[in-house]
Amino acid sequence: MASRRSAEKTPPKEVAAPSSSGKKVSDSDVTPAVPTNVIMKLAFFSVAMIFVPIGMYFVTVNVGGTSATVGGIVAAIMANVVLVAYIFVAWKDDQAEREAEQKQKEKKAQ
Amino acid sequence: MADSEFSPKFAPFFSFAGIASAMIFGSLGAAYGTAKSGIGIAGVGTFRPDLIMKSLIPVVMSGIIAVYGLVISVLIAGDLDPPPNKYMSLYTGFMHLAAGLSVGLAGVAAGYTIGIVGDAGVRAYMQQSRVYVGMILILIFGEVLGLYGLIVGLILNSKSSG
Repeated sequence: MASRRSAEKTPPKEVAAPSSSGKKVSDSDVTPAVPTNVIMKLAFFSVAMIFVPIGMYFVTVNVGGTSATVGGIVAAIMANVVLVAYIFVAWKDDQAEREAEQKQKEKKAQ
Repeated sequence: MADSEFSPKFAPFFSFAGIASAMIFGSLGAAYGTAKSGIGIAGVGTFRPDLIMKSLIPVVMSGIIAVYGLVISVLIAGDLDPPPNKYMSLYTGFMHLAAGLSVGLAGVAAGYTIGIVGDAGVRAYMQQSRVYVGMILILIFGEVLGLYGLIVGLILNSKSSG
């Protein structure tokens, strides 16, 4: 997540993010603590976790016309699909962030 | 077919007990997993807010435990009907109770594992990023405990509904 607070808020210095705007600490930071795309992702996965498994159960039983057991299996599988999707998105997000950090470091080195 | 030796009046009681125990115990496990790993995530978030998204995985897994309880509860409830329409055998009632209890108590086991592993795992991940894959694997193996309970519950339930 690119939700780093400004350096003054993170207490221990060894883990404080090396922000490029470290000189202008006194300026008020008006960017939101959590970016919108992160909130959208979390909201999407919350809604998916609530509605997808139980919704797929009713779809398979009422529309597909299969037995309730098959519906239960489908619901369990869908819950795990949402989990795998979440792990994938979190992993992807981390990768993008690391690449951005690498680029910044390279720029500083030049 | 009215009341008989095999389908007494109190047979549905055990079905309802199965529904309640699946939902109550499943939610209990999910609540413990969410709360305990939430403590760890809050601790990590104060130092490394950028890791919160990846640290939320134990919370999502705890949610799945509750979904398992919900699924088996809906399945058992689908089998039930009030007496004039259906006289349930005591055998079916006990089977529903077994299905509910196996899902619910397996959910408690899985939620307990996810809570403790999630708490310790995200704290370790804050200091050493290579812990992540191991943490995910341990969490998946913990979560599978709940899935086993669901599989047994589904098999039991399919026997009762024929």
